[in-house]
Amino acid sequence: MTLSPVSRRALLAATALVLVLMYAPLLVVVANSFNPDPSMTWPPDGFTTQWWVRAFHSAGARDAVLTSVEVALASTAVALVLGTLMAFALQRFRFFGRNTVNLLVILPIALPGIVTGVALNNAFRGILAIELGVATLVVAHATFCIVTVFNNVVARLRRMGGNLEEASADLGAGLWTTFRLVTFPQLRSALLAGGLLAFALSFDEIIVTTFTAGPGTTTLPIWILNNLFRPNQAPVVAVVAVVLIVVSVVPIWIAQRIAGEAETVR
Amino acid sequence: MSSTGATPAIRLTGLQKHFGDVRAVDGVDLEIADGEFFSMLGPSGSGKTTVLRLVAGFEQPTGGTVELAGRDVTGTAPFERDVNTVFQDYALFPHMSVLENVAYGLRVRGVGKAERRRRALEALATVRLDHVADRRPTQLSGGQRQRVALARAVVVRPRVLLLDEPLGALDLKLREQMQVELKQLQRDLGITFVFVTHDQEEALTLSDRVAVFNEGRIVQLGSPREVYERPVDAYVASFVGTSNLFDAEVARAVLGRDGRYALRPEKIHLAAEPDAGATTPEHDRVRGVVAETIYLGIGRRVVVDTEHGARLVVLEPSTAPAAVERGDHVVASWRHADLVTLA
Repeated sequence: MTLSPVSRRALLAATALVLVLMYAPLLVVVANSFNPDPSMTWPPDGFTTQWWVRAFHSAGARDAVLTSVEVALASTAVALVLGTLMAFALQRFRFFGRNTVNLLVILPIALPGIVTGVALNNAFRGILAIELGVATLVVAHATFCIVTVFNNVVARLRRMGGNLEEASADLGAGLWTTFRLVTFPQLRSALLAGGLLAFALSFDEIIVTTFTAGPGTTTLPIWILNNLFRPNQAPVVAVVAVVLIVVSVVPIWIAQRIAGEAETVR
Repeated sequence: MSSTGATPAIRLTGLQKHFGDVRAVDGVDLEIADGEFFSMLGPSGSGKTTVLRLVAGFEQPTGGTVELAGRDVTGTAPFERDVNTVFQDYALFPHMSVLENVAYGLRVRGVGKAERRRRALEALATVRLDHVADRRPTQLSGGQRQRVALARAVVVRPRVLLLDEPLGALDLKLREQMQVELKQLQRDLGITFVFVTHDQEEALTLSDRVAVFNEGRIVQLGSPREVYERPVDAYVASFVGTSNLFDAEVARAVLGRDGRYALRPEKIHLAAEPDAGATTPEHDRVRGVVAETIYLGIGRRVVVDTEHGARLVVLEPSTAPAAVERGDHVVASWRHADLVTLA
């Protein structure tokens, strides 16, 4: 498509403005993590790494990071297994209620987190009488992590059709060999992309977490929320926020590159 | 076939496949001899592809049996059957190189690496594609993919090769070229080819025998010549090539006879009046006016409105001496023997 020079410049300016509005605040956080003034006056009047040192020695922050990684890994693992199985069931078989199940699987990503949180909280404590903790948190996160894996695998299965597996069986491969040599290699990049997105979703989730973590379990976002308004903790929070940005952006960037490569290979 | 006493490569007995209320295959009995080039011809939805999938094992029949080389394989999985398929969309594995694709059947059979590389390259050489062995299927043209699919299917040396409209996605020139190659390959390998197509010309030119399918049944089975020259009913007569069909009423008016008949356009001779054309007793004659002439390159299609109201389509070879024009009064004539009596 060709645009006139005027409209091209106008669109460029608009795009730049939107990107600046989106990313300038993030850069401010990064800058503040090196700001020597603990009340974070702007602009910074120097450069220090003391907050980074303090953050790495803060037991609370360290534990929160570990808890978040643990929960994100576990819920991603659950999502990979269940999401893939459900994608196969819904994409490869026709059965009664298929469309309903399809909707029910995708719904958690659209439901307001607060609704999911309250509902799960009631179910865990009121009906099942389970102590809230890491386990309940993993289950809660898995409900929406499944969706990203499911969507990626369904899209891939739809595109590859059943023909490749038939060709493999036709050439003499049994079910397991076909899965190992044909189906799984086709799914690999979809699983990686879906898994990384699931990890990122879980890692910075806060609303559902608030209702399902219990008092003894502090994930990184919860720790940040708790410490944000404490005097003297603000710079450390900025450091942790920068870590959080890196940990959530990198998987998404990788997932996008994988998806892009898969596109061009095909 | 069966009269020779040899075991047929494929024997289908009372084969049925229903999808819900749809009888995709509705009672097919068929024997295909070892080494035969056999075509299943019919429009889409006539059941020919389903029969192929039943033979390959991708579908299980609702009723009846499938025998391969005398062994009942009904109920067994595709990987337990000594047949291979060339798919309509080729179904090449996109994450493997061309060589790995062709070697796949050998790999899952546990053939050693060096051995399978040698045999895969050999199979690629027979389709003249050994120079693209290291490329990905996506980097090949449609015709090349088609040949890779062929090489992949024949490298494991099956007794029977099933081809599901393998030339459907190719353009005309390439298709004609591939038809020659397929025929050659079949002769060289000496294995049974079962070829599914909706292209009657393809079926006629390639096959030893043709089965014409309609609504899940075989309506006619015979050599290409038999099917073309002696169609059993109006369906076959109009699906295989073009035919002039005389229903009971027209037959009485034009031929003065009862029954239903078909007549191939190229069997009709046109002559301008008053030069009345052939007048021997073994000819039928009818007067008419030329309604349309269409130039075809290899000849002309002439549409004649006869004095009885019925329309005749005539194929005139380009060597025909005096070409008739639109509006000319003509006499159309043909030999009695060329008239096909329909069921």
